[in-house]
Amino acid sequence: MKPIQKFATAAILCGVVLFQAISLQAETVREELAGSSFKLVHEAYANNNWELFVTAVNGKSSVNLTNTPDVNELYPQASPDGLRICFLVDSGKGRATVRSLWVMNSDGTGRKKVTDRARQQCWAPDSQTIAFLPQEYPKFNVTDYYTKGISFHHLPSGKTREHVNTKSLHHLYNISYAPNGKWIVATVHAGMGHRHTNLLIEANGSKVIDLGIGGCRPTFSPDGKYIAWGAGDHELAVVPIDIDSDKPRLGKKVFQVLDKQNKIYHVDWSPDGRFLSFSRGPNGKGDITKPGTYEAACEIVGVHAKGWDIFAVQVARGGSITIGHKPVYEWMPLTRNGHSNKESDWFLPPAAK
Amino acid sequence: MRLRRITLALGQALGLVALGLANGCGPAPVSPAKPQSITTASGVPMIVVPAGSFKMGSDDHEADERPRHEVSLGTFLMDQFEVTHDLFVKAQLPNPSRWQDDSRKPVERVRWREAKLYCNERSLMEGFTPCYDEAKPGWPCDFAANGYRLPTEAEWEYAARAGSSRLFSFGDVAKLKANGWFADNAGKRTHVVGTRRPNAWGLHDLYGNVSEWCQDIYEPVYYQNSPVQDPLGPAEDGTDARRVMKGGSWKASASMCRASFRKGQRTGDTDACFFTDYCGFRCVRRVTPTEVQSLIVKGASEK
Repeated sequence: MKPIQKFATAAILCGVVLFQAISLQAETVREELAGSSFKLVHEAYANNNWELFVTAVNGKSSVNLTNTPDVNELYPQASPDGLRICFLVDSGKGRATVRSLWVMNSDGTGRKKVTDRARQQCWAPDSQTIAFLPQEYPKFNVTDYYTKGISFHHLPSGKTREHVNTKSLHHLYNISYAPNGKWIVATVHAGMGHRHTNLLIEANGSKVIDLGIGGCRPTFSPDGKYIAWGAGDHELAVVPIDIDSDKPRLGKKVFQVLDKQNKIYHVDWSPDGRFLSFSRGPNGKGDITKPGTYEAACEIVGVHAKGWDIFAVQVARGGSITIGHKPVYEWMPLTRNGHSNKESDWFLPPAAK
Repeated sequence: MRLRRITLALGQALGLVALGLANGCGPAPVSPAKPQSITTASGVPMIVVPAGSFKMGSDDHEADERPRHEVSLGTFLMDQFEVTHDLFVKAQLPNPSRWQDDSRKPVERVRWREAKLYCNERSLMEGFTPCYDEAKPGWPCDFAANGYRLPTEAEWEYAARAGSSRLFSFGDVAKLKANGWFADNAGKRTHVVGTRRPNAWGLHDLYGNVSEWCQDIYEPVYYQNSPVQDPLGPAEDGTDARRVMKGGSWKASASMCRASFRKGQRTGDTDACFFTDYCGFRCVRRVTPTEVQSLIVKGASEK
């Protein structure tokens, strides 16, 4: 055998061994989710419009839940009991767009509009109340912090009320309820006297606490003991918090996800608190040749994010995970088509309980 | 009614003659002794910047300012002040500014796209045709449209110089403290617009407070091939290229406040949060000499 042939053979063998090693390791995280009944609802751009998809985290199915070619559905949030999904609908074009809050059963039936000019909604722990952020002005703007106040819609009664401190709440985005119902965590940008920070807002009072962390889009773990958030364009982080205290404080960072090349955003906890999902993809400002989309940073709701997919990591491992580098067993893609898959939210469908 | 209330600030007759001559007889250096101002339909004071020629750039400073070269421009209107929080709110836009303590302060932390959006909103408010096509990627600028837009780099420097060929329109750096808010006197913050002296044409804060977005792509060697008449900057290439930012800011050294100083600034258009707290802007609008005359006559009759 000539030297060049020996070298080629060795290279092929190395490649096979490496591939097998990666495949075996990849099965490690896949196996963690293989027996799971959890599903993710997320937005994706399909057939020239925004749709909501439900993807099984075990990889066995991904279904277009809305399948409405003429309606743009975005930003889905599953109720803690898994029975319902609230979401946004964009109607119209450009500055005349009306962004509305809707709710439906988690199987896609029973769609009902809640209100117009609302965004960034989340569920209260009772699965009966939706908290949302009213739009700052009547004219549409795609900016995430284009909000004023907080409102609550109670589904059984059909009544909407404002937060007791609503007039002081300005430029919030990405609200998330604490499981004890006491606090709402949110990001604020250029509002309420803050340059940019993350706040704890008393759900039924006027207390506001600056958590003193940069970044954005915080969300409580299901047990309320941790907050995960985007600490930067390329970092997700987890810190402990004591939400039963009157002055909750953050502990030291216990877990982080890093990606040096792609942006990573929209972190969300699995219902058992063992996994995090997030959106990941290249930087960009959208593609407004696609109907129903806007030009802005591609992580923003309504902006087409080419090449973005949903990923999962096992948060229980602790430490630090770097996406895009070995060992790959610590993370896995849950979508692979790159069709602007963003804003994932975990839930356990009623049939699986 | 496009212009509801028009006021002549100073010396209408002299300026009219100068404008007429400049536009009717081709570009010529013009330095009207007294500036003219109008107030637009949405209540924004603007200065009539007369057509003329000037020497742009500098052979004595940074490489990207070379060579000093001849530029000729037509008449245009330029905001007398930087766009303030009040104006942003009036346009129903989310105010991104770091300093929110006084609504008469200039907006900052403004992305390039957000500045263009404001220009379009103001055009629509006043019944003009928007310059930026929001339906096309990158929002290309139609310079022939009659609406508001960001100034070209040449328009900005011409207006800042106000007929002067020195480093600052008011003379040397010793007078900068009286004419602009910059690192030595701003106290690490922005200030209410118009609280420093205007330049010779009545424009405030070009030498400080916040730096200002221009329309042009930033290209360090552009001056080597820049056209003489109405240069628009390097050709658009569809990328998120750096844009020219001109003028001093609360954060800038005196040297960075010079009329010819150039900076290539990332647009922030792909950033979820844009924290560059010295990025502001002001608007311009191209007008014909005939339109200027009618505006002035109309303003005088309403006065």
